[in-house]
Amino acid sequence: MSWIIGVDVGGTFTDFFAFDEATGGARHWKRPSTPSNPAEAIIAGLQEMSSAHGIPLPDVTRLCHGSTVATNTLIQRRGARVTMVTTRGFRDVLEIGRQTRPAIHDLQRDQPEPLVPRRHRLELTERVMADGSVRTPVDAAELSELAEAVRRTGAEAVAVCFLFSYLRPDHERQVADALRAALPGVTVSISAEVQPEFREFERFTTTVVNAYLQPRLDAYIATLMRELGQAVPAALVGINQSSGGLMSLDTARAFPVRMALSGPAAGIVGAVQIAREAERPNVITIDIGGTSADVAMIRNGRTDLTHGRDVDGFPIRLPMIDITTVGAGGGSIAWFDGDGLFKVGPQSAGAVPGPACYCRGGTLPTVSDANLVLGRLADTLLNGEMTLDRSRAEAAIRSVAEPMGKTVEQTALGILEVMTVNMVRAIRMLSIERGHDPRDFVLMPFGGAGGLHARDVAVALGMSEILVPVAPGIVCAQGLTDAELQDNFLISALIPCTEDGMSVLRARLAEIDGMAARWFAAEKTDPGNRRIDHVVDMRFKGQNFELSIDAGNGEGLAALPVLLERFFEAHERAYGFANRAAPVEIVTCRATARAALGVRRPPRAADLRPGRPEAETHREVIFAGPDRCHTPIFRREALRPGDGIAGPAIIDQMDSTTVIFPGDTARVDAFGNLLIALGAAP
Amino acid sequence: MTEPVAHDPIRLEVFANALRSIADETFVALQKSAYSTNIKERHDHSTALFDARGRLVMQAQQSLPLHVGAISGTVKKLVAKYGADIHEGDVFVANDPYAASGTHLPDICITAPVFHGGRLVGFSGCTAHHADIGGASVGGASGGLTEIFQEGFRIPMVRLFSKGQMNQEMFDIFLLNVRGAEERKGDYYAQFAAVSLGAKRLAEICDRYGADYVEAAFEELLTRTHRRLTRALDQIPPGEYAFEDVMDDDGVAARDLKVAVTLRKTADRLTIDFAGTAPQTPGNINSPFADTVSTVLYVLKCVLDPTISSNDGLLSAVEVIAPAGSLVNPAYPAAVTNRSATDQRVVDVLLGALARALPDRVVAAANGSNTGVYIYGTDPRTGGRFYFFETMGGGFGGRAARDGKDAVQVHVTNTANTPVEAIEREFPLLVEEYAIVEDSGGAGRFRGGCGLRRVIRPLGENFTFGGTGERFATHRPWGLFGGEAGETGFFALRDESGEVKRLPTQVPGVTIPEEGAVIMQTAGAGGYGDPATRTPEAVADDREDGKFSAAYIARHYGGDAR
Repeated sequence: MSWIIGVDVGGTFTDFFAFDEATGGARHWKRPSTPSNPAEAIIAGLQEMSSAHGIPLPDVTRLCHGSTVATNTLIQRRGARVTMVTTRGFRDVLEIGRQTRPAIHDLQRDQPEPLVPRRHRLELTERVMADGSVRTPVDAAELSELAEAVRRTGAEAVAVCFLFSYLRPDHERQVADALRAALPGVTVSISAEVQPEFREFERFTTTVVNAYLQPRLDAYIATLMRELGQAVPAALVGINQSSGGLMSLDTARAFPVRMALSGPAAGIVGAVQIAREAERPNVITIDIGGTSADVAMIRNGRTDLTHGRDVDGFPIRLPMIDITTVGAGGGSIAWFDGDGLFKVGPQSAGAVPGPACYCRGGTLPTVSDANLVLGRLADTLLNGEMTLDRSRAEAAIRSVAEPMGKTVEQTALGILEVMTVNMVRAIRMLSIERGHDPRDFVLMPFGGAGGLHARDVAVALGMSEILVPVAPGIVCAQGLTDAELQDNFLISALIPCTEDGMSVLRARLAEIDGMAARWFAAEKTDPGNRRIDHVVDMRFKGQNFELSIDAGNGEGLAALPVLLERFFEAHERAYGFANRAAPVEIVTCRATARAALGVRRPPRAADLRPGRPEAETHREVIFAGPDRCHTPIFRREALRPGDGIAGPAIIDQMDSTTVIFPGDTARVDAFGNLLIALGAAP
Repeated sequence: MTEPVAHDPIRLEVFANALRSIADETFVALQKSAYSTNIKERHDHSTALFDARGRLVMQAQQSLPLHVGAISGTVKKLVAKYGADIHEGDVFVANDPYAASGTHLPDICITAPVFHGGRLVGFSGCTAHHADIGGASVGGASGGLTEIFQEGFRIPMVRLFSKGQMNQEMFDIFLLNVRGAEERKGDYYAQFAAVSLGAKRLAEICDRYGADYVEAAFEELLTRTHRRLTRALDQIPPGEYAFEDVMDDDGVAARDLKVAVTLRKTADRLTIDFAGTAPQTPGNINSPFADTVSTVLYVLKCVLDPTISSNDGLLSAVEVIAPAGSLVNPAYPAAVTNRSATDQRVVDVLLGALARALPDRVVAAANGSNTGVYIYGTDPRTGGRFYFFETMGGGFGGRAARDGKDAVQVHVTNTANTPVEAIEREFPLLVEEYAIVEDSGGAGRFRGGCGLRRVIRPLGENFTFGGTGERFATHRPWGLFGGEAGETGFFALRDESGEVKRLPTQVPGVTIPEEGAVIMQTAGAGGYGDPATRTPEAVADDREDGKFSAAYIARHYGGDAR
């Protein structure tokens, strides 16, 4: 027996997905999170799931963990006291940033205050030049006094950030070594190791965030390791990164900033696996939760990595799965703006006070209240553990219905309509920016509210099929069991795209492969499961923005003409043109090293007997309105592969609901996914 | 209840969302397919939809504040000029501030009418800043130009496509008059594609909703925005509010240029009158009337209702009067390219005037500039020419409840800086320092933001430096309600011996010797409220963070504030 378990710690719930390698069977569990000590919910949930599903914890061979701990530590400003050491003349880089304001018409709003106040940003005489040469070595006299100066700041962590350290890390290393020797117990992050990429403000900020998170995350991981060591003694533990790959606990302790967006990233890894099994290579995922919806694109069975994203106003430069967030979720509040237009979100009632129907003190009308009033959402959730109050939902919606002279039901439909157009607008922008047509994609909703809204979104985008995963509420936890061990390496180097340049590129990639090889060895990965993908960031000479281009040809480096053609095509897709005569250069060489963990997925029986499941009960549901429709309700758990359902129908499960509209048809595939074919839109 | 169908708040919101979606989609389409870095990276472009009368209905979310007035002025001009002679497939082009109510010449405005069932329902338009528009200097922005003719190629409102057919001869004239014709052609085509995409999408909306609904909903949206701003104006008590300030110089001949404004608020009307403002100047800092109007709307949005839509409903709610032939409403053929320097000052005087009416919303004077710096020469590493240009932020004014931000772009400009690691990699330059300027933010209960300093030295060659600044001479950024003025900025040259010499506010071009350096330092900003009421903790932070010297603190906050 060998079980792989994914644990996703969210703000409200901690989700578990257990995969049995021998039989291919899967189990899930969900329990409330314990924000003060997230490990508590993990251990309790493991034990609960073990006894509920008969999973012997000693048989767990691997446990993969994704968590919002890093993000929350940053957002709530509960990180460490950090001191920064930087090149003389540049301590304000962290504060000046890109010299822009976040909202042009808001005179009161600024970019976030730097995590290190100016008095704790120390300067040191040293200078590396743009070609990597040393103009001024580290000043020995200043260095000898630095540790004492750092001590006086009361630092728990230090970020060492020098100009051009991505070309020559010696100076940062020299300083870090001296500080580590003199200040045991103080963690030291250096920018050349956190993310050795050009553009100082972004690199410095990423490094400072890393330093800021390190002491807290270190304590969290240590606690978790201790407790998991007792609960699941045989399990190898991996932590998910924002790039969607796993890292070892040691790597996580050195680079906690890589956990900044690990939760949503795991969801996309799960979605990729689900899409692959369902043989749907092009998918737009929409993960709708309580306050927001995360949107991502899967193309040819793969997701794109982006190289950075703002987290709470701080630009974090790291490989991340490309996810766009929209302020639309079950808790989104309906209101009238100054023009008297009817708006939904981005303000959300969240989990507390929550939608009016939750009876937790919320009185404002939300999307969940609208779904309840329309009969789309059941009166009880979480297998009866949570009861929703329809009369409170009606009262909340009436407060906005009356000024418009509308009925509660008309207004509820309006809430859903406005929420849909908000999501549709975001998805349309995302696909246009990436150069894709949403009609070529299948929509995969997940999260608690995905299945409630997917149909409206798909119709508005001209899509014809929806794929609802077997357990939409825990796709992130599921994704964790599919993730590979992964690390990313890069070298920033300006290389002309010429034959001469290719030999330089070859040498650089060999250097990167050396780094990857050392990592593979250090992580004790199985040599048969190792893979390295090379990517180069290319641009036309003189441009200030780059496109990431696959540099491989299956075995080694692609030939120059191939590389150039890929760049021209990508430029055309992204920007509408490419001047094939203009000189091109490479600014960054990147490698993603992956070690597959060898998950064995047994083949599925092709035994898909068409079935007609029995409805468990009926509800009166409003679809397009105005009349209620006597609608059969099915339990998702009772559906079998091959079953078909014609709309109208509602499919309820523990933590999510799927709406099948009149004219649409759903069937269950071999993996338990629900494939909904959209009929003619009414 | 039989309200007109366009009044249903849900349907109208869904409709408005569809319009926003079109404006944003065309914005991205233009950004992606244009060639100029200004458009691609700095997003110096705007896209919008108009009704059949040429009134601005919806602007893309990321559109720039300075484009509002110009884009709506030019489309109204188009309707006035061509009237019934507008046909499906036509595309119109304009850029001239005098002949077509444009902003400055590099901003090309392109518009296409939208028809549904043979009926004109509106227009799809865009404005984009081209990298070059001909004229005496690349990009048309150099100092020393005194007439619009020197600034580039002027286009009145003209019809470039007639019923889908391009007037190739006319387009050839456009391209012959600009540098980098091939790239500019790319920018034009990006704009043609963007407006035709917008037109197609608006026609689809008409298919879905019907042209009658679309027209009624346009009207309703404008009315609602107009009502919203009118309601917001009630926050200003009736009365007269005047303020004035003085600009350093225009880089050519004129010095100490006054910018004056009087706001007259009655029960139902706000008039903004720039009487008393200096006459137009020979230098290129004149602000065309459309820009002055955009700037007024920027300020009103900021202090009254930051999330209000930018559409024609705003324009009709206020009256802007600017004396003809003045700095804020120049007459042909005044030069205008560097108009944003004046617009920044227009913002300051409007905020100053509104201080008494809306003390909690306004901010003290900012660094008052859109400081531009450029360095060029021959790169000894390659033998090729290089040209480095960027704009620098400075202090942001003190506010009612918090300090002004240090070293940031203010008001009508918000362009990013160039990273040190990008400057040194691309150009034979060494950045010695990039820092917040100590003691430069005016003292106050909430102090003004500090200025920004960059020190750059050449590597291996002599180079030429040029720049355009403001608040560099004697006219310091003032404080409010007892807050003190911030420090002025300057350009200076450090020679081989280390001696520092001040340069003029507007530097047409000066040599930096190889062992020397250029120092570029922008102004701080004014403080807000009496410095004596600043909390001891805040004063201690100023000192400990090294943003203010002990001497400064003793002088402005009293001797005991150690």
